[in-house]
Amino acid sequence: MGKFAWLNLMTRPLRTFLALVGLSVPILGVLGLFSVSDGLRNLVGSTLDKIKGVMVLRENVPTPVFSELPSSLGEKLRAIPGVRAVAPEIWGLPPTIGNVSLVTKSLDFLKKNPEQRIQSFLDATVIQGQDIAAHKPLKSAVYPSALKEGRYLSVEDENSNNIVISRKIAKEHSNAQGEPKKVGDQLKIGSEAYTIIGIYETGSFLLDPVIVMDINTARKVVNKSADRVSSFYVEADDSSKIEEVAKRIEETITDPNARLDARSMSEFAANFSTVMSQLDLFLLMTVSLALLVGVVGIINTMLMSTTERFVEFGVLRTNGWSRGNVLSLVTIESAYLGLMSGVVGCVMAFALTQIGNQFIGGGLSLQFSPRLIGLGLALSVVMGTLGGLYPAWKASRLVPMDAIRLGSH
Amino acid sequence: MIEVSDVHKSFRSGDRWVEVLRGVSCEIPRGRFAFIVGPSGSGKSTLLYLMGSLDQPTTGRISVEGRDLTAMTETERNAYRRDRVGFIFQSFNLIKNLSALQNVLVPFLPTGVTEAQRRAAADLLRSVGLGDRLDHRPWQMSGGEQQRVAIARALIKDPLLVLADEPTGELDRKTGDEVYRILRQLQAERQTTLVVVTHDRRFIRPDDLVLEIEDGLLKSTEGSEAEDDLSEAEVR
Repeated sequence: MGKFAWLNLMTRPLRTFLALVGLSVPILGVLGLFSVSDGLRNLVGSTLDKIKGVMVLRENVPTPVFSELPSSLGEKLRAIPGVRAVAPEIWGLPPTIGNVSLVTKSLDFLKKNPEQRIQSFLDATVIQGQDIAAHKPLKSAVYPSALKEGRYLSVEDENSNNIVISRKIAKEHSNAQGEPKKVGDQLKIGSEAYTIIGIYETGSFLLDPVIVMDINTARKVVNKSADRVSSFYVEADDSSKIEEVAKRIEETITDPNARLDARSMSEFAANFSTVMSQLDLFLLMTVSLALLVGVVGIINTMLMSTTERFVEFGVLRTNGWSRGNVLSLVTIESAYLGLMSGVVGCVMAFALTQIGNQFIGGGLSLQFSPRLIGLGLALSVVMGTLGGLYPAWKASRLVPMDAIRLGSH
Repeated sequence: MIEVSDVHKSFRSGDRWVEVLRGVSCEIPRGRFAFIVGPSGSGKSTLLYLMGSLDQPTTGRISVEGRDLTAMTETERNAYRRDRVGFIFQSFNLIKNLSALQNVLVPFLPTGVTEAQRRAAADLLRSVGLGDRLDHRPWQMSGGEQQRVAIARALIKDPLLVLADEPTGELDRKTGDEVYRILRQLQAERQTTLVVVTHDRRFIRPDDLVLEIEDGLLKSTEGSEAEDDLSEAEVR
């Protein structure tokens, strides 16, 4: 019966093709959106894997840029059992970089093409001021290990205008000849010029938009007083017990004026995962509309097909086919249609993710996993089958004599 | 073998009901070549289809080999059509995208075709002169050839009963003669009961059973031993 169903589809190639396009495009949409979502998950996962410590910041702030804590908290943190190192940090948005403000950059965003817009979205440059002496003993510091050119900050850079930037920032602020900034060049932040002493590259768009400098220098740039910091980066004696240390920090330091949050990277990951799950749900709701249109297309195609074939169904019934047999035949046809749409949708999604990955940088790679192929095929078969049920039911309800008479009139 | 007892059949046509059969009773003995004749719209095709259990009478009873078709379940009716009855239609009604051989095997497609059934179908097609047309699609064949495929499809199940509705209605005279020659030959070989609806009386032979229907009533029966004994009550 499967072969017969296949022949029935192939007998009407144009209609089959149009129905196939109708469902494969929404399937492509679903797979495309989920490949972005999976890509983001992967990127964040791999980024967070690089960070083994805990970030202590003010409770309920989304990022350290919006956090402010007393500098004196550092001593209390160091006294907590299990804490190996505490490194104060200042985080903030620079007023201007190379005479380009955040507002100018936002307006510039509108002039760019889609690929550049994606890139711009990932380009919000952030200042990180490090207490150099306190950062020195860290075992899991990300930027020193990602250094590609020059040198990293050392104690002689304290209070200096020396900075370490990413290769991405170096390219963004290229000179008149289009050459990227290099070690020894100057970069203007606000009204002051800063000397680039090192260039790093982590490969993650989440980590690469950061300009690293001395904590006191950063205080001047983002206008923070000496007794305040944004956050503390804390490492545990035993990195496998970092979750316990985070819990201990929150239990030990209970200052009502400085309620803090010790966020381990797994907590960041969990929060991110929750956000991504909600995003997935939102995406699914959005594409379900497109899927609905695809299903309506299948229903329409199968209804036309079955209406034209009433006599054929009558002939089948006269030859002993049961209602269930006719129902199965039409349902198999629509399931095939769904499956073909799924295959086409998967092939297109695979091709487009490969093309997309050529344009998207910042460590984000659109993922096209076997899970997505399975999802695409399963979704398309289910949609195809659902779309065929009503026409199949209608075909199966025909009285054989009425169906035959339709053919003789 | 076939007993039709006081069969009525009504159809809904718009807001009203049309009574196509108004109490038909008749008998067709096993192995006979029977014709149902009558003017268009007299109800002869309806009677034929009811014998094939393609629909149910509104009232009355039809039994074949002692089995009451009106008392059968849906599953039993499907089995009856699949295994016991062969149909031949005026418009051939072959499945367009199947080859001649596959068309003959249509009754067995849901359950899966065995090699023996495939061989039997090929033999049947050869016996109706289509040995070189096994893989041809209906659109590659003439009307006469298509009807021969339909005959093979009706006979593949080795049925008790073959029901044919105007089997030469769309064929020229010569091809029509050929179709009847084949039908008569197969009926003689297999002793199958054949009931044919037709307008064309030239194919009727003196020893055939002829049921004449007019306005939904059986007007006369010719060729039956009981012909002379038909009471007023039976010829309604």
